[in-house]
Amino acid sequence: MKFLKNIFEKTGKLVEKGKPLSWAYPIWEAADTIFFSTDSQTKSGPHIRDNMDIKRTMFFVVIALIPCYIFGAYNIGYLYSNALNIDSSFIPSFLFGLKYVLPILITTFVAGAICELSFAIIRKHEVNEGFLVSCALIPLTLPPTVPLWQVFIGTAFGIIIGKEIFGGVGTNIFNPALTARAFMYFAFPTKMSGDKIWAIGVDGYSAATALSVPANPKNYDTASNLFSNITQFDFSNMNLFWGLIPGSIGETNKLLIILGGLFLIYCGIASWRIMLSSIVGLILTATILNLLAPFSTNAMLTITPLQHLLIGSFLFGIVFMATEPVTSSHTNRGRWIYGFFIGFLTVIIRSINPAYPEGVMLAILIMNMFAPLIDYYIIQSNIKMRLGRNA
Amino acid sequence: MKKIKIKKGHDINIAGKARIDSISEKFPETVSISPVEFNYIKPKLLIEEGQSIRIGEPIFYDKNNPSVKWPSLASGVIERIEFGERRAILNIITRIDYESEKIQTSSTTNLSSREEVINFLLDKNLFPFIQKRPFDMVANPAEKPKAIIVSFANTAPLGTDFNFSLSGEKKYITEGLKNLKHLTDGKIYVAVNSSQFDFVDDLEFVEKIFVEGPHPSGNIGVILNHVDPINNKDIIWTIKPQHLVILGKAFSYGIYDFKTTINLAGPGVKNPSYISSRLGANINNLCKDDLVDSSLRIISGDVLTGKHTSIENFLGFYHSSISVILESFNRPFIGWLHPGGKSKYSVFNAYFGTNKKPFEFTTLQNGSHRALVPIDAWEKVFPMNIYINALVRSIEAGDFEEMEKLGIYECSEEDVALCSFVCPSKTDVAGIIRKGLNMIYLDK
Repeated sequence: MKFLKNIFEKTGKLVEKGKPLSWAYPIWEAADTIFFSTDSQTKSGPHIRDNMDIKRTMFFVVIALIPCYIFGAYNIGYLYSNALNIDSSFIPSFLFGLKYVLPILITTFVAGAICELSFAIIRKHEVNEGFLVSCALIPLTLPPTVPLWQVFIGTAFGIIIGKEIFGGVGTNIFNPALTARAFMYFAFPTKMSGDKIWAIGVDGYSAATALSVPANPKNYDTASNLFSNITQFDFSNMNLFWGLIPGSIGETNKLLIILGGLFLIYCGIASWRIMLSSIVGLILTATILNLLAPFSTNAMLTITPLQHLLIGSFLFGIVFMATEPVTSSHTNRGRWIYGFFIGFLTVIIRSINPAYPEGVMLAILIMNMFAPLIDYYIIQSNIKMRLGRNA
Repeated sequence: MKKIKIKKGHDINIAGKARIDSISEKFPETVSISPVEFNYIKPKLLIEEGQSIRIGEPIFYDKNNPSVKWPSLASGVIERIEFGERRAILNIITRIDYESEKIQTSSTTNLSSREEVINFLLDKNLFPFIQKRPFDMVANPAEKPKAIIVSFANTAPLGTDFNFSLSGEKKYITEGLKNLKHLTDGKIYVAVNSSQFDFVDDLEFVEKIFVEGPHPSGNIGVILNHVDPINNKDIIWTIKPQHLVILGKAFSYGIYDFKTTINLAGPGVKNPSYISSRLGANINNLCKDDLVDSSLRIISGDVLTGKHTSIENFLGFYHSSISVILESFNRPFIGWLHPGGKSKYSVFNAYFGTNKKPFEFTTLQNGSHRALVPIDAWEKVFPMNIYINALVRSIEAGDFEEMEKLGIYECSEEDVALCSFVCPSKTDVAGIIRKGLNMIYLDK
């Protein structure tokens, strides 16, 4: 410990103001405070401060994601052994999956760190730990077969275009992790959609996600019937919840996502209002579409509200992506509206857009765009109340 | 009587609360008045070093408003005048001559109009005790306030319990309020948070407000936001409870008595207790034997809004407590992974087993400054009908019109101090609010 402290003390002198290496100060500060808590002092009042800081806030989001990683890795191995009819116990399956998950994770962190650190140097701002969360989120939204170079480019795009060109953390409009995913989806469609990418098997092994079943039915039927006709995977509500199905790495097990969400709500980091109102929006919209289903041949309209909750990345999106504090609404009333429309748009995009069955990603990005507008009107009402008092 | 119940906020459980049993009396050797403490004044000295002065005589005045003069807080000799950067006057120190101070001629006055009360306060150099909102500065005698408010509900951490420290002063408080009533055509609000407080119950002109809830429920800004919000161009006058006693004595007998009861508290004090002393007293005289042997930060005022000072310095003009916390430069290894326990305090549920026992806060900021991430932390401790996040952004953008519209006039540093306390990005919200007020004030 003493040794480490000495290293930081010595290197700290090299990056002081006026020294040739002073440009590297943000990087030194970030590394130094990872190992040893900062001894920054309060200057004027308040003379005392809470023990919560951004490092811990962001670290807690990463903690909430760890179970999703473990399950994601296991699920890859499980689906592989099922396809080949071999042993599917936990440890070997997990280790098999880890071989796919770990390289993706490392790639996002390398790409993210390069972008964040270079911008911290160029723009002379602090290294904000928020990029760790973005980098931890990106792999969970990807299929396990994604090529690493695409991950690298996608992450860099997400961090730079999604965040840094708007001025970095605190001023960005779009969720960087979702920007990365949306970019990859549109830039590399063959590796990000279809039924060949969601599970590892022998060459040409195809595994469709639950959402694509009612999206491309051979004959019209209700979603529930279509699900039960599939023999390759168990798409019952129960198994959709437990998540031993093909999908993006981190989104399949709903229990772990719900636990992660409750953990973040308990700590006061994520907004329960957004999560709850998204679910309300989804259930209401799905119910209305269910009522309209008899008048249409679109099987997506027959998906029940519960199935909408369980299939695809909806829960993952509203727990970890929609609640991102900077890009979501900043007012509590705004958060209700923002969340509600995410639920609404998710169902609409899923049901009515034939090309792209998973709507939550675009729903959140669209609402990211509208969040400032929602806030504007909420704040205007406060201003009007105040002006009314003056008159 | 009105009741307001406040839910948002937080009572910081800080160690070193002063015992409420006895009040010991301490006689300082020197007192000082510090012109830099008063917002937006341009002080012009009326005395020089070495000159002898009597209690209450004018010591300096405000060039912006020459009728407002500040009183000498003691009889004695001006020992030293300390200057800071750009010749800002830091301290005007008087060595007290207790013998000559005893001689004061008392006189009774009967004031019956606004003009008479204002002239009395200006003649007696007592006007600086009246502060105004917005801007939190000394009031202007030419302006007529919409209302006057006194808050006996001190909810600040380690704040003085006025129900205890002013328990024998009912007569002067009543006398003070009776005279101050002439200053406004509007209401006189008195805020309390204890049912024992009955000083004003028989004054029919007083509107008593009972506040309930965690800090900052007793703050003037918060109370006004709930009962009578400050609109553009509104002016509210306010007096600190301890000053009401001083004014009451002046109104009753025409004498100066700057005695005040303060509390000496905080983790850096051996025996936190109440002390009877006087305004501007030398801190060394008040607490030299009571401090723990360690590197300390001495704060005149409470830990949220007080002024960073030192043992050789003096009690602030408006302050009713001295808080002492330990300085710490401790850098735990991988602190952000810490599970919690006795060494952490947080309003977030981010550590195990915290906040139950009184916590020994230090001067550590507990994190580096980072970009603002709005995780709803400020809003949880800010019980006003104002979008504080939007307000802070408009100040940072320098948008005057937006600041006014979002209600900056209703805020003061003390009302948002808890926001700075909880902010995970370690943003100085109080400093930003003052920056916004300064921008508007200096632009006018």
